[in-house]
Amino acid sequence: MTGVFLILGGAAFGGILNVAALRRERPSEIVVLFRFVRIAVRAISLGMVLTLVFGLWLVGDLDFVKWSNTWVILALILWVVANALGGAGGRREKETRKLAERLAAEGDGRSAELRARMRDRLTLALSWGSGIVVIAILALMIWKPGH
Amino acid sequence: MLAILRPDSWNLALFLHVLGATVLTGATAAALVCAVNEARWPWLRLVVARTLLLAVFPAWILMRLGGAWEDSKSPIGDNSTWLGIGYLVGDAGFVLLIVATILGAVAVRRPQRTWPIRTVAVITGVYFVALLVAMFAMTGKPGS
Repeated sequence: MTGVFLILGGAAFGGILNVAALRRERPSEIVVLFRFVRIAVRAISLGMVLTLVFGLWLVGDLDFVKWSNTWVILALILWVVANALGGAGGRREKETRKLAERLAAEGDGRSAELRARMRDRLTLALSWGSGIVVIAILALMIWKPGH
Repeated sequence: MLAILRPDSWNLALFLHVLGATVLTGATAAALVCAVNEARWPWLRLVVARTLLLAVFPAWILMRLGGAWEDSKSPIGDNSTWLGIGYLVGDAGFVLLIVATILGAVAVRRPQRTWPIRTVAVITGVYFVALLVAMFAMTGKPGS
């Protein structure tokens, strides 16, 4: 459960600061918020490792949970999907942060390019999609379909 | 074991409670980080005020209502210490969050005053630690 808290809490933390960054215009302000988001990225990464390690341990240790249970298989697939989506979205956001850092160092003026990258639909879909998949994993762990 | 044996009719309440609690913890941490750093970047006061009003409060409502709904269905934990800790952190948190939200708005409207945002930083810091204690108590269920 600590892992789940780190993932979902980190996602909420990062999501809130990402939305706040969308409302700012100056590159230096966006850089500050994106640097805070890195705290969330670390928490989510740690949470992902904890949920996988302790989740697999529990499945192996508990007699009433089987590797063949539908919800166990689906949870593992969604864990991979969430990592893939979050990783791809994170790489694109890292590029946006680097652009914001460069613009901040070059006079900190408003930039149409930065504004467009901040609102890039694919990046937003990847990042928010990853969060939705993690919520789906939580739902699987509670409802346990096929158990 | 209890999670496996839990009736299906409890699932939605538990899901909403856990989802609300995790978002509440993350949103409180976001408000705390911004409040702590506002001296260097004063525009973060607006982020703090909006986060408290639009993220922390709705998450608290989801966590608290989901928890009350779950507790009304389930006899598990009645009169236990871990459930008492959950209620204490939940209900005392409501008062703390009201104070923090009001002070967050004051900090935005009166930028020359520093004490409101500093108080918000202290309150969100205390509440964040309290949420971690509640998380440990509710998930580990010590003493049961």
